[in-house]
Amino acid sequence: YGRSDSYRVATTQDKDDKDSPKKKKGTKDLDDLKKEVPLVRITLKNHFRKLSLFFSSQKGLTNAKAREFLARDGPNALTPPPTTPEWVKFCRQLFGGFSILLWIGAILCFLAYAIQAATEDEPAGDNLYLGIVLSAVVIITGCFSYFQEAKSSKIMESFKNMVPQQALVIREGEKMQINAEDVVAGDLVEVKGGDRIPADLRIVSAHGCKVDNSSLTGESEPQTRSPDCTHDNPLETRNIAFFSTNCVEGTARGIVVCTGDRTVMGRIATLTSGLETGKTPIAKEIEHFIHIITGVAVFLGVSFFILSIILGYSWLEAVIFLIGIIVANVPEGLLATVTVCLTLTAKRMARKNCLVKNLEAVETLGSTSTICSDKTGTLTQNRMTVAHMWFDNQIHEADTTEDQSGASFDKSSLTWVSLARVAALCNRAVFKAAQDSLPILKRDVAGDASESALLKCIELSCGSVKMMREKNKKVAEIPFNSTNKYQLSVHETEDPNDNRYLLVMKGAPERILDRCSTIMLQGKEQPMDEEMKESFQNAYLELGGLGERVLGFCHLLLPEDQYPKGFAFDTEDVNFTTDNLCFVGLMSMIDPPRAAVPDAVGKCRSAGIKVIMVTGDHPITAKAIAKGVGIISEGNETVEDIAARLNIPISQVNPRDAKACVIHGTDLKDYSQEQIDEVLRNHTEIVFARTSPQQKLIIVEGCQRQVNTHLAFQDCLYSSGAIVAVTGDGVNDSPALKKADIGVAMGISGSDVSKQAADMILLDDNFASIVTGVEEGRLIFDNLKKSIAYTLTSNIPEITPFLFFIIVNIPLPLGTITILCIDLGTDMVPAISLAYEAAESDIMKRQPRNPLRDKLVNERLISIAYGQIGMIQALGGFFSYFVILAENGFLPSLLVGIRLNWDDRSMNDLEDSYGQQWTYEQRKIVEFTCHTAFFVSIVVVQWADVIICKTRRNSVFQQGMKNKILIFGLFEETALAAFLSYCPGMDVALRMYPLKPSWWFCAFPYSFLIFVYDEVRKLLLRRNPGGWVEKETYY
Amino acid sequence: MAKDDEKKESGEWKEFFWNPRTHELLGRTASSWGLILLFYLVFYTFLAGMFCLTMYVMLLTLDDYKPTWQDRLATPGMMIRPKSDPLEIVYNLEKTESWDSYIQALDNFLAPYNDSQQAMKNDACIPDQYFIQEDSGEVRNNPKRSCQFNRTMLGSCSGLEDRTYGYQEGKPCVLIKLNRVIGLQPSKDEKSPYVSCSVEKGQKTAQTNETSAAVEYFPPNGTFNLYFFYIVNYSQPLVAVKFTDLSFNTDFNVECRIKSSSLFKISERDKFAGRVNFKLRINKV
Repeated sequence: YGRSDSYRVATTQDKDDKDSPKKKKGTKDLDDLKKEVPLVRITLKNHFRKLSLFFSSQKGLTNAKAREFLARDGPNALTPPPTTPEWVKFCRQLFGGFSILLWIGAILCFLAYAIQAATEDEPAGDNLYLGIVLSAVVIITGCFSYFQEAKSSKIMESFKNMVPQQALVIREGEKMQINAEDVVAGDLVEVKGGDRIPADLRIVSAHGCKVDNSSLTGESEPQTRSPDCTHDNPLETRNIAFFSTNCVEGTARGIVVCTGDRTVMGRIATLTSGLETGKTPIAKEIEHFIHIITGVAVFLGVSFFILSIILGYSWLEAVIFLIGIIVANVPEGLLATVTVCLTLTAKRMARKNCLVKNLEAVETLGSTSTICSDKTGTLTQNRMTVAHMWFDNQIHEADTTEDQSGASFDKSSLTWVSLARVAALCNRAVFKAAQDSLPILKRDVAGDASESALLKCIELSCGSVKMMREKNKKVAEIPFNSTNKYQLSVHETEDPNDNRYLLVMKGAPERILDRCSTIMLQGKEQPMDEEMKESFQNAYLELGGLGERVLGFCHLLLPEDQYPKGFAFDTEDVNFTTDNLCFVGLMSMIDPPRAAVPDAVGKCRSAGIKVIMVTGDHPITAKAIAKGVGIISEGNETVEDIAARLNIPISQVNPRDAKACVIHGTDLKDYSQEQIDEVLRNHTEIVFARTSPQQKLIIVEGCQRQVNTHLAFQDCLYSSGAIVAVTGDGVNDSPALKKADIGVAMGISGSDVSKQAADMILLDDNFASIVTGVEEGRLIFDNLKKSIAYTLTSNIPEITPFLFFIIVNIPLPLGTITILCIDLGTDMVPAISLAYEAAESDIMKRQPRNPLRDKLVNERLISIAYGQIGMIQALGGFFSYFVILAENGFLPSLLVGIRLNWDDRSMNDLEDSYGQQWTYEQRKIVEFTCHTAFFVSIVVVQWADVIICKTRRNSVFQQGMKNKILIFGLFEETALAAFLSYCPGMDVALRMYPLKPSWWFCAFPYSFLIFVYDEVRKLLLRRNPGGWVEKETYY
Repeated sequence: MAKDDEKKESGEWKEFFWNPRTHELLGRTASSWGLILLFYLVFYTFLAGMFCLTMYVMLLTLDDYKPTWQDRLATPGMMIRPKSDPLEIVYNLEKTESWDSYIQALDNFLAPYNDSQQAMKNDACIPDQYFIQEDSGEVRNNPKRSCQFNRTMLGSCSGLEDRTYGYQEGKPCVLIKLNRVIGLQPSKDEKSPYVSCSVEKGQKTAQTNETSAAVEYFPPNGTFNLYFFYIVNYSQPLVAVKFTDLSFNTDFNVECRIKSSSLFKISERDKFAGRVNFKLRINKV
C-alpha cells in the first residue's frame, strides 16, 4: 500500500513539474520564469499525504521502480548550460565587432583587384596584397583573442567539482550508498551532518537537523529542518531540504520529491541559462566607433568618386579610387591594438585576483553606475563570529576582522574569565584534527555555527579550549532543544581540592535570565535587581537591533553538601537545580562584514557608484550589515528610523526625507514596475531583504532602467539606462549575475552556477577587488581613447597622398606597403604603450561615465585627430616628399599633372625641371624613396603625437614621461623605420630605399608644431573649464 | 513596434539634420558652425602659411642649375627614335602608310638639329675634350653654351638625302640618344663613349652577331663626342644606327649599349639605363 502510494505521489508531482520547464523554454518571459507555483503545489500535496508518506518511508522504493523512474526522469544532475561549440566561439572572435570592418575592407580590396585584373594587362598588386594583409590581421587577432578567452575558461573549468557525490538511499528496506546521480523521485534518503543534500527532499523524520541554505536563500544562519510544514512558501517551510545545500548537523530522512533540473536549484540554473545578456558597453562603443569611421570613409570615398568623375576619369578608375579611399580609412592596426590593450588589462586584473571571462567585460566595471551586491559571502565572511559581549553592565566589542587586526576589549575583568569559561565548557564544538598549523580563524570546526563562533572566540582570547575542557571534566550534559531553549553541562572544577561541581548553561537570553537570581559584576555575585534587569533588557535589545544572534550565559557552583563528589547527575529526569543561577553575561554573534568591504564601499561611493544590497537574509541582519559596511551611511535614516525617532506612525513620515530604505521581499512582490523605479530613483541607499532569485532579477532590471542622477533631463528621454554590476556567490544570485551588465562571482566560496553565470570572478573573494576592477576599467577606457586618437591621426597622412594623387596628378607620395608598415609596424607598440599610461587625475573621484555622452570615440576626437593633428602630419609628410623630389630635380611646379607621363612605362626620357632625363625605373626609385621618406616623416610626427596623446587635459610636463613602455615604443618605431629604410634587400622586398640623413629632419618642424599646438590647446582647456576649446576639442 | 522604432529613428535623423526647436543644423547652431568654421579657416591658413614657409626655405637651398642629388642618374638612360609603345619598329615594305609615321616622327625630332639652327644657337667645340665653362667664384658663368650637333653628321640617316631614312629600301635608320644628365662625364679618359648594337634573330638560341656586317653607325663608330656632355642643358648628341642587312619577315631583337671607360652599371631591373632594347621587323610579301 505504502509503496504504491509513494509511487503515485512521485508521478503526480512529476506530471506537474514536467511541463514547467517546457513552458520555460517556449517563452522566455520573465513572469513565466518567476513561477514557483508547481513546487508549492507539490509540497502541499505532500503535506496532505504526510501520513501515507510516513508509512512508505519504512522501506523505500523497490530497485525495479527506481530503475524505471531513473529511465523516465533521467539522472539526478543539472543539465549543464548549453555550451557554445568551439568553432562558434572562434567565429564570433573572427567576425564580431571590429573585425567586420576589416573584413569589409578586405573584400573591397579583392573586388578592386578583380576589377583591375579584368581591365588592365598588368594590374598593380597593391589591392591584392592589402586584401591579404587585412584578412591575415583579422585572422591572427581573432586567433589571439580566442586563445586568450580559452585560457580564462580553462581556469573556470578547474573550479568544477569533479568528485562524484554519494547519497545514502533506502531501497527495499536496505540502506545503500549510491551515486547522487542515480537518486530518483520517491527515493527515501538519509542525510547527516556534513552531507550534501542529493535532491529536493521532503523531510519525514529529523534529529536536530540543520541545513545551510545560504547559497540558495542568502540566510547566513543554518536552518532547522523538521517534518512539520511551517509555511506555504517552499523556500520558507521547514520540511523541505534543497538539492545541493549542505546538512550542517543532525540527521534526517526524507523522500525525494524532485531531482535534477526540476529541483529548486535546477530551476534557478535553468532560469539563469535562459537569460539573454546584452552587449557589453565597450562593444556598444566599438559599434559607435565603426559607425563614425564608416561614415567618414563613405563620405570621403563618395565625394572623391564624384570628383574623379568630374575630373574625367573613367567609371572603373573612379570605382577603384572609391574603394581605395574607403579601404584607406580602415585603421588596420586598431583591432590588434584594442585587443592587446584589453588583454593587458585583463592580465593586470588577473594578477589582482580579478579573473575576467570575457575580454570585453574588462571595461564594463569602469562604466558601472550601480552595484547590486549580495550580502552573505560577498560582503560578509559567511561565518558566524562573536561580535559583542555584555558583562559588567557594559557592552564590549569583539574583534570580527578576518586577520584579527581590530580593536580588542578589556580582558582583565573576572566576569570575563567566568564568561569565557562558561562559553568554553557549555559548548560541543571541537576543532577538527590536524589543523594546528592553521590560524585559528581558518580552522574547520565540527559543530553548530554559533558554537564554533564561541569556540574560536574563546580560543583566540583565552588560549586552548581543549586544555580548559580537560581540566574541567564534563560530568553531565543536557543538549539544546527547542522546548528548553537552553544547553547545560556540569563539570568538575579546576582546583583539585575543590570538590564542588560547576554548572554552566547557555541559551536564549530571556530564558537564562528567568533562571537567574544573581548577576556577576566585576567578578562578584550580586543580587539581580530591577535596575539590572532593565539594563539587561536594553543591552539585549541593542544587540538584537544590530541583527545579531544573542546568547545568554550563566553558571553556578553547586554546593558541595547537596551535590558531593560522585553525585549521579541524571539529565533525563533532572535531579539537580537549574534555577537561582548566577547570570554572567551575553554574547552576540553575527556573520561579520569582510574587513576590506567598508573601505571598498566608500571608494565606490566617492566614484559615484550607487551600492545596493540585495540579500535573501532577514531585514534586521541585512540592515545591520549595510550600516556596518557603509551601504547605509552614518546619519542616513530609513522611514522606520525617522518614525521611531520622532515617535510618529510610519504613515506620517514623508518618504522623501529618508535617503535610505530597507525593503522586504514580501513587499517587493506587490510592487509595480513604477513603484520599483520610484524606490530606486528616490533613495540613494537601498537594502533589499528576503528577496528571491527572481526578485533579484527584477531589481537588476529596475536598476538598468534607471539613469544616472547627474544626467540632464534631455538625456533621460533617450536613455538606454544605467550599467549595473551584480556581485554574488550563491545560486540565488546567478540569474541576477547573468542579467547584469557585469556579473561578479566569488571564486572560493561561490557556487558553480554563479561562477558560470558571471563575467568576472574574484579569485580571492575580496569585494575590494571590485574597486580595482572599477579603476582598471575606467583607466582602460581613458587609455583606449588615447590609443585610438593616436592611431586614427596617422590615417590622414595616409589618405591625403592618394587624394592628391587623384586630384592634382602628382606621383604617388605614399604607397600601400608603406601605409601597412605604419599601421601594422611602427604605430603598434606606441599605441599599445598608451594602455600603460597612468591616470591623469584621480579616476576614483569622478562620476561614472555617461554611456550616452561620454563615448569612446566622439566627433571631437575625430576633429582633433583628423582635422587638426592629422593635417599637420600630412603637411610634414608632403614636405619631405617635395624636398626629395626637388632635390632630385623635380620642382613642385613641375609635378602637378605629371602623373600620366610619370607612370608611363614606355616613357624613359622624362625631363625634370633641370632638363635631365629619367628612365621609368630611375624615377620610380625616386618615387619609392619618397614613400620611404613620407613613412619616416609619419614616424617622426607620430613621436609628437604619442607624447600629446599621453594626456587629454594635463600638460605632458605635469604627467611626466614615466611610461617606460612608451619610451621603448618611441625607440622601437624609430629603429624599425631605420631598419626598413636601410636594411639591404628592402629595395627588392618592400621597395623601400635608404634615405639621406637630412631627409629625416624634414618633418621635425611639424613634429614640433604638433607638440606646441596641443600643449597650447590643453593649456586653454585647463584655463577655461567648460569653454569653447573644451566643448570642441576635449575628447 | 518595429514601425514605431523606424518612425522614431527617421524622426531623430530629421531632427538631427534640422532641429526647428533649437535652430540646429546637423547638431550645431549657426553661431556654433560659424565659430568652428572660422577656427578651421584660421587654423588651415596658418598651416598653409607654415607649409609655404618651409617650402620656400627648402627651395632657397636648391641650386638653380644643378640638382642637389644625382645618384639615381649615375647610369644615363638610353632611348631610341622613333619610339612607340611597346618599343618596336615593325612595318610593311610595300605599305607606305605603315612606316609613314616613323618618318614623320624622325623629321620632327631632327628639325632642331638642322645645321642652320645649330650654328645659330650653339658653339663649335674642340673634339675629344669636355667643354667646361667654369664659374669664377661667386660670379656664375651663365648662360652656358652648348656644342653643335649638326644633322649632317648623321650621314645617310640625316634624312636630308634619303627622305625616308632608309625605310623604303628595308634599311631603316634608328636614332639612339643618351638621356641628358647634368654634369655627366661619360668617360674618364679622353676617349669618347660609343654605341654598340647587337642584333639577334628572334627566338634563335644560337647567337649570331651580325653587328659588323649589318649595322652602320653615324657619326662613324657610333661615338658621342665628349664635348657634348657636362654642360647644363646641353644639346643631346645622337647616334644613328642603320640596319643594312635585315632579312624580311623575321623578328630581330636589337640591344644597343653605351660603351665607355666609365663602365656604367647595367641593372637587371632597369631595361633602359645604359642600354636599350627594341624589336625590329620588316614585312614583305
